[in-house]
Amino acid sequence: MIPQEFAAGDTDASPVGFGLPGVGMTAFEAADDRSLLALLETAAERALRDAAVDATEIDSVHVGNMAAEAFNDRSGLANALTASLGAGRASARRIENTSASGASAFHDAVDAVRSGGSAVALAVGSEKMSAADTATATEIISRITHEREYQQGVTLPSFAGLAADRYLAEYDADRRDLARVAVKNHANAANNSYAQFRTPITVDDVLESSAVATPLRLYDCCPTSDGAAAIVVTADAAPVTVEACESAVGVHAIADRRDPLHIESAHAAGRAAYEMARIDPEDVDVACIHDAFTILEWLELEELGFAERGTAWTLTRDGRTAIDGDLAVNPGGGLKARGHPLGATGIAQLVELVWQLRGDVPDGRSTGSPEYGLAINVAGFGNNSVCTVVGANA
Amino acid sequence: MSRVLECADCGGRTFYEKRRCADCGAETFRDRDPGVGTLQAVTAVHVTPDDVSEPNRLGLASFDGDASVIAQCNGTLEAGDVVAIAEGASRDGEDSTMTLVPAAVNDRR
Repeated sequence: MIPQEFAAGDTDASPVGFGLPGVGMTAFEAADDRSLLALLETAAERALRDAAVDATEIDSVHVGNMAAEAFNDRSGLANALTASLGAGRASARRIENTSASGASAFHDAVDAVRSGGSAVALAVGSEKMSAADTATATEIISRITHEREYQQGVTLPSFAGLAADRYLAEYDADRRDLARVAVKNHANAANNSYAQFRTPITVDDVLESSAVATPLRLYDCCPTSDGAAAIVVTADAAPVTVEACESAVGVHAIADRRDPLHIESAHAAGRAAYEMARIDPEDVDVACIHDAFTILEWLELEELGFAERGTAWTLTRDGRTAIDGDLAVNPGGGLKARGHPLGATGIAQLVELVWQLRGDVPDGRSTGSPEYGLAINVAGFGNNSVCTVVGANA
Repeated sequence: MSRVLECADCGGRTFYEKRRCADCGAETFRDRDPGVGTLQAVTAVHVTPDDVSEPNRLGLASFDGDASVIAQCNGTLEAGDVVAIAEGASRDGEDSTMTLVPAAVNDRR
């Protein structure tokens, strides 16, 4: 049942309808020996080849990256990439929106085409996190928090641990139900040659893994990753089109939320995207949800109207979000198992959706013949969310 | 910093400094005593930055006026416990910050 507030109503918004003729990505890995720039170049060239677009045709390049300065002592990525590709007449810029940098770069590319300034826009996202050890990466990412949170040593897993503790106490879900999110996403990644983790896991594996932020354990959390993903946006239609790309901001300090289980930016971005695409949640066949932590998959499914509050866990328990369920969620393995190179993730979600809508996936990862796909890429623990709807252009 | 900020116009409360009240946009806040609150959730964080001790035990507590805070907390506290805020040292030792502690019996009245 779809919450009434998400039902499509009268709106002046029109679906975007721009073509997505090409996508490409690198396999996500714990450590890729190529440079950050080489990762960007590789993904970009794969997307351009897929789109049959020459670099000289690109009007604008939009690079998503969170923290190259901190991880890699690197800046100027968009200019370096554009010169390397030979896209000499393109404009170029880098977009930083923490863990939603990828989707924000795509959003910027869509806006460039929407404005008429670009007929062909290339969005590329990447992060190379292996240059930092876990403690250093944790420190870099925790710098996105409010100063008062930072002083307490608060990290992103801290927020997820608190949310999971609250959710399991407030609703009927139990700890094993939450583990099933990780089990599902690892099973999907097993059929994805681009995924970082390709070994299926069990509920017991999750429960027996080391504690990260109780009640969450290692297998509840996405890894740090190296990787890149790219997508071409054109004013001309293509077999897959972008129907909506909307973003919204939320609170900065997470405790400022009136309800600790409410991610207001995901709710607002989702609602705007449905309105723009003129669809309801029940029209969505496949979704890429920002599951940096297992609990986030449930919270975002509820914010996006796929389940009433406190009930998303039943979708997991009943197999409705499995690859053969009525709403396949994270068929590529999600952040959890495909990996989470911060700036690449939002575009990797769209790469997966384009492949799904074109039918370019192996049998074990096919979600049938989806008509609409939705992606939500979340910055921090909901400081900002970007929601994209893509459609198959029959 | 063991005070809560109260908007001078609408009375909305927050523990987190900002230029304008999120509820009404007013720019003036007053320091208030947060009183006692209720612990909503707890977590023990085992992967921490180098200068943060492990495990870092954190609690999410709600206080009067819809103000909530995430802060380090005493290891015996559980969700549902009544808590107060005490002064604590920040991770770099340069600022005072807050720690959640069990509310004294007198505080709960």
